[in-house]
Amino acid sequence: MNGYYLSQENVKDFISHLMKKKTVYAPHAKADHSFVFEEVVDADNVILDYVRTLNSIKKYFMPSREVMLRYNLDDNSYSIEDVEPVKGIFLGVHSYDMQAVLRLDHSFSHGNPEKNYLTRRLDNIFIGTSFTPDNFHFSSSVNIQPHKTEGFDLFMHKTDRGYVLEEVTKTGSDLMKGFDQLTKFHGEYPNSEHFKSHLYAPQEKLSKVFEESYDNPVWHEIAQKCVGCGTCNLACPTCYCFDVEDHVDLSLQSGSRERRLDSCMLRGFTEVAGGEVFRDRLADRIRHRVYRKFKYISDSAGEPWCVGCGRCTIYCTAGISIVDIVNRLVSDYDKKQIVQDSDMIAAWD
Amino acid sequence: MKSKPRVAVFDFTGCEGCELNKLNFENHLLDILDHIDIVEWREAMDDQVAEYDIAFVEGSISTPDCVERIFDIRNRTKVLIALGACAVNGGMNAMKNKQSLDTVREIVYGEDKDLFPTLPALPLSSYVTVDYEVHGCPMTQKEFLQLLTSILAGKKPVKPDYAVCVECKLDENECVYGKGMICMGPITRAGCDALCPSFGQYCIGCRGLVPHPNKEAMINILIENGLSIDDAEKRMDLYNSNEKDVVLI
Repeated sequence: MNGYYLSQENVKDFISHLMKKKTVYAPHAKADHSFVFEEVVDADNVILDYVRTLNSIKKYFMPSREVMLRYNLDDNSYSIEDVEPVKGIFLGVHSYDMQAVLRLDHSFSHGNPEKNYLTRRLDNIFIGTSFTPDNFHFSSSVNIQPHKTEGFDLFMHKTDRGYVLEEVTKTGSDLMKGFDQLTKFHGEYPNSEHFKSHLYAPQEKLSKVFEESYDNPVWHEIAQKCVGCGTCNLACPTCYCFDVEDHVDLSLQSGSRERRLDSCMLRGFTEVAGGEVFRDRLADRIRHRVYRKFKYISDSAGEPWCVGCGRCTIYCTAGISIVDIVNRLVSDYDKKQIVQDSDMIAAWD
Repeated sequence: MKSKPRVAVFDFTGCEGCELNKLNFENHLLDILDHIDIVEWREAMDDQVAEYDIAFVEGSISTPDCVERIFDIRNRTKVLIALGACAVNGGMNAMKNKQSLDTVREIVYGEDKDLFPTLPALPLSSYVTVDYEVHGCPMTQKEFLQLLTSILAGKKPVKPDYAVCVECKLDENECVYGKGMICMGPITRAGCDALCPSFGQYCIGCRGLVPHPNKEAMINILIENGLSIDDAEKRMDLYNSNEKDVVLI
């Protein structure tokens, strides 16, 4: 393979080089021990060796809150807010977050294409970096290795003393033009990292497992521990549900219609006109969330809608793990198969 | 010109902080007065009137005298709005409900206790119909204005029925549990834009619980993070002694 070698001491210059081309968004430190994607103002503040960011880059294409339109009650008119393409370079994105964006692309372009998301998504460049999995990453179980380059234009494979740059698209190659602190790299790109957390079954099997898991007692058991705060959905890079609210300005003549991210774990999410709540039980909401990740969308799209980032688990104050839930379902499914098989053997005898 | 709604403000058992908060709306007070006439407000003026369109009521109902007054206010107003934690769910005052009324009277008034009759601290809604509620200790300016503008414009006010955790996630705050703090955010009603966690502090739950809370799960979280069962229950009770609603598992 032919790539380029970027030594650690030249990383800042490379970021400055990128900043001359477009606005760059990259991971920065936040509060005590967290990371967030932010616009790069000073290349010194970028941290490419990070565990995971609090929110994924989804926030740039689907802001957590946004004004959809402004209305005027005097003449019953309204104006739709302008939405512009982000047109940025996203630097240091992990493969699971890139995969999440590709899944959102699918969700927002099928059925009713969602104009705001699709507009913001135009003209962006993605530069990936590999990551070292912590106790919560399990993306390899959903076919997302730390070195997966799909969706990226350029990929930075972390090595001991810097990065090996892999050109994935022509756009990616063009980014390196005019930057002369690279040396030619010959050899295999690094491609393996050790994961500590795993799902016990691939998607093909999970699809069957979930067919049998609707009445599994696990949903009720987890509901005893869950406070239903919605953190798991809101931290999820592939969740996209939203709610819409109207606000009135102090003039009482005008106002705005705003949307914000919502969560199917919240009771109000399924409350409809008349006050009916069609997933009133917390256990039903937990089941729905997990089915949305491994069954409902996956059956039609052919892929798990979970990217294994581990956010829903690490940020859960109640310590609920989606990996434990899925593995419990798999093991209950396997046990049931063994019982069925032995029943069949007994019938033959 | 259409006449403006006549607004009155009243207080019961509480610190009057929510009322005072309204006088602090310096940037918006004149705009508000474009739309309403304030006709009675003990903390701000001397006038008293017989009837009003909207009554904002702060504080909990905790004495026989309070009961009489709240019925009287309800009879005089078209719309009654509970203002702040005490009025909405009894607030901190309701901690007294966990002890005998005789004991609390003795603690506060000593040998004169018989001169001061008392009742369990209850929300306004325990006695009269409440049309709208503004949560919080104290209530926030933003929510108060949103409610007022919605009512005046004839729209149904938006009231968050989800937890403070939602706002922390929308604001991309680092969870304060990771700093070793104990936060009531997972079960506390949002609407404050996660003010305290946004500044690195934990939520004490001043806005009351979300509707249908899983209290047992929350107590387990508090215990898992180092509180004794007794302290966990006290933390839950601080603003929520009267909250009886539970989740459907």
